[in-house]
Amino acid sequence: MRIEIAGLTKTFRGGVAALDGLDLTVPTGMFGLLGANGAGKTTLMRILAGIARPTAGRVTVGGHDLATTAGRHAVQRGLGYLPQDLGVYPDLTARQFLDYVALLKGLDDPTVRRRRVGELLEVVALTGQANRRLRGFSGGMRQRVGIAQALLADPRLLIVDEPTAGLDPEERIRFRTLLSQFAGDRTVLLSTHIVDDIAQTCREVAVLSRGRLAFRGTVESLTREAAGRVWSLTTAGPPPPDGTVVSALPAAEGGMRYRIVAATAPGPTAQPLEPALEDGYLTVAAPERSALNA
Amino acid sequence: MLGPPIAVAVGVLAAVANPVPSDTNTARVLIGALEMALPLTAGVACASLVGRDPAVEIQLAVPTPYRETLLRRTVVTLGWAALVAALTAAVLIATGWWARWPDNHGVIAGQLTWAAPTLALGGLGLAAAAVSRSPGAAGALVTTVWAIQQFFAGLAQQHLPGRMLYLFATTRGADPADWTANRLTLIAVAVALVALALVVLGRSERLISEDDE
Amino acid sequence: MIATLLYEFRMQIRKRSVWIVPALTLVLFVLIGGSLLRDLFDPAERPPEARLAVVGLAVQIHALLSIGFGCLLADRLVRDDRLRVAPILDATPASPGARLVGKYLGAGAATAVPIAVAFFGFATAYAGSSGSWSALPWALAVFGAVMVPGLLFVAAFALTVPLIMPAPLFRVLFVGYWLWGNVVTPDLMPTLSRTVLNPLGGYPMAALFDFAGIDGDDQWAGPFPGATLNFLRPEPTPLIAWLSIALLLVLAAAALTGGHLARLAERTRS
Ligand SMILES: Nc1ncnc2c1ncn2[C@@H]1O[C@H](COP(=O)(O)OP(=O)(O)O)[C@@H](O)[C@H]1O
Ligand SMILES: [Mg+2]
Repeated sequence: MRIEIAGLTKTFRGGVAALDGLDLTVPTGMFGLLGANGAGKTTLMRILAGIARPTAGRVTVGGHDLATTAGRHAVQRGLGYLPQDLGVYPDLTARQFLDYVALLKGLDDPTVRRRRVGELLEVVALTGQANRRLRGFSGGMRQRVGIAQALLADPRLLIVDEPTAGLDPEERIRFRTLLSQFAGDRTVLLSTHIVDDIAQTCREVAVLSRGRLAFRGTVESLTREAAGRVWSLTTAGPPPPDGTVVSALPAAEGGMRYRIVAATAPGPTAQPLEPALEDGYLTVAAPERSALNA
Repeated sequence: MLGPPIAVAVGVLAAVANPVPSDTNTARVLIGALEMALPLTAGVACASLVGRDPAVEIQLAVPTPYRETLLRRTVVTLGWAALVAALTAAVLIATGWWARWPDNHGVIAGQLTWAAPTLALGGLGLAAAAVSRSPGAAGALVTTVWAIQQFFAGLAQQHLPGRMLYLFATTRGADPADWTANRLTLIAVAVALVALALVVLGRSERLISEDDE
Repeated sequence: MIATLLYEFRMQIRKRSVWIVPALTLVLFVLIGGSLLRDLFDPAERPPEARLAVVGLAVQIHALLSIGFGCLLADRLVRDDRLRVAPILDATPASPGARLVGKYLGAGAATAVPIAVAFFGFATAYAGSSGSWSALPWALAVFGAVMVPGLLFVAAFALTVPLIMPAPLFRVLFVGYWLWGNVVTPDLMPTLSRTVLNPLGGYPMAALFDFAGIDGDDQWAGPFPGATLNFLRPEPTPLIAWLSIALLLVLAAAALTGGHLARLAERTRS
């Protein structure tokens, strides 16, 4: 399922432009959406899920126009959505909750539904806890219920909004592996501000910054954006004023060793480094700072 | 869910505690529980259906329209109230208390005694909740409308529109001749309010922003 | 506590529903007849004394708008848990008791503002149209002695009772109680109305404002011939009236304390 977005603008009451003339094409497969908090990721996801309406612009998903009721309906039939703020009904058990969502997704045949719910409980390793109420679930367990819920109707398009926030490292790894395995010929749109999640799962990525597209390309090309801009600098003094400090480690020889993204060498003793994905992200996501540096 | 049975229990209690122990008066209190207390619980329950759904984003992203889900919840809420009311009415009819209230309007049509105000307050609750997305505000409105008609039973029925919209026309009605028209008007109003609610609920975006608190 | 109070006040008064519900109530009231309101502005019908007019106005405003007041406050306390701010607030050094009091006074005051606006608005309009400016000091006195204690009483229960039952159920029971405990006359059925426990303020109205209904033929306090619970209806004297006010406030404090203890118990259990 291909997503085509043209001139998409979303302005909230009070004049906040969460999305500002966004043009983007998302192909089949796993696609990463990076952006700082407040960049507009959730707003975009909600529009794609048919929950929110654009102020202006055109969005089609698999050829269906989201501006029409019929189009939204068609998209929602093949959609799995894991909201950023996942709420569940605390009084239902995991199995009942999934059964309910399956009903809402139109899985009307009870035997099919029961089988599907059972399969997904297995996939997210919750079979043992399936009959416990969601009230007592930990964040990670809840998130697993969330992903199971999204996968119920075998969606052609899966939208997951910051799914790994709040998961422990093992859960995170399991989660993103699950997503990659699922992707195949489907479209999986993974929004996150955790660069590592994208690096491990996606070939292609877009970076949003203040409602605009700051970058669109492969993960490698995003990394290359930082080529020649990553430096290592060891100093006893404060970090140099321009450039973005990526990491700061106490150096064995005393002082601090900084990893810095900057257009030019931040000091005479700075050593160039091989860029990583995070450096590329910082280069494109903070253009005004880079511009200052240049 | 507890509401309707409690309403009936309160009514029976009030009838038992009645210090003016004439049969007519006791029958009136019993039927009054069906016409007053039960519709109030149903109305407030309907007022609490919108605005506090933890899984609202999931609900809005599935192909089943959310308003259909809410309509189904409304039907369940009102259906439960109706079941309790019908059973109570059956008991009252079987024990003869129904007949002891002179304005009972018969066994069949008389069921509009509870059906009309239940639908009207239910519709009002749902519409208010859909517009305000706040169970607090919607519940306040339902209880206030109910209470005003209790406080000012006479004034509310002085003029024709008020008489048609009066919720308690069976047990506190001013004019039994207007009863059927009153009941049908209330049901029509209920239908209009539910339609309004459905139109408002069609705009999904309003539902994801927290109610106006 | 002061900080909590101010913020609760601010949050509550910004809610549109706090204004819309009383406004709609008044519109309904006027539509349905609101005979008293009309009488107030009709030279032929208005009561002879400004004092009577103002107390009569207070009764109607108080009886009507308190319902919305209680319903709107009903979920203030449970809301913290729903919005998941409770853990943040619990981790602050402010003591939970002080926070509860702050929330009670702040949210209660904010929700009462529209009621006060309506009451003083009508009172001023009456004073202007009738020329009896003594209505204004009377209005202040009635507001302080009758309405404020009643509202404090209602607010305490509205905040804490939903801790032990769902808020919608509380709203239903509350309006039922309000009708039964304030409006029903004692000869109709056993009731708390017209007793010293009456949040509508029958005793202060009768004893402090010498009020017996707009037309002088209502009995707002004192023993009712043949009614049950008459031991709660002593002869109205100013002392009893002040006791009645104190009793309402004590009950309000008891409700708050009960709610506070219930919350603490819940906290330690979970
Ligand atoms: N319902 C809303 N009303 C007003 N502003 C909003 C609303 N939702 C989001 N915003 C604003 O839109 C911008 C983008 O938010 P969001 O899409 O949630 O970003 P992200 O998911 O990337 O963190 C933010 O500035 C946010 O404050
Ligand atoms: Mg977001």
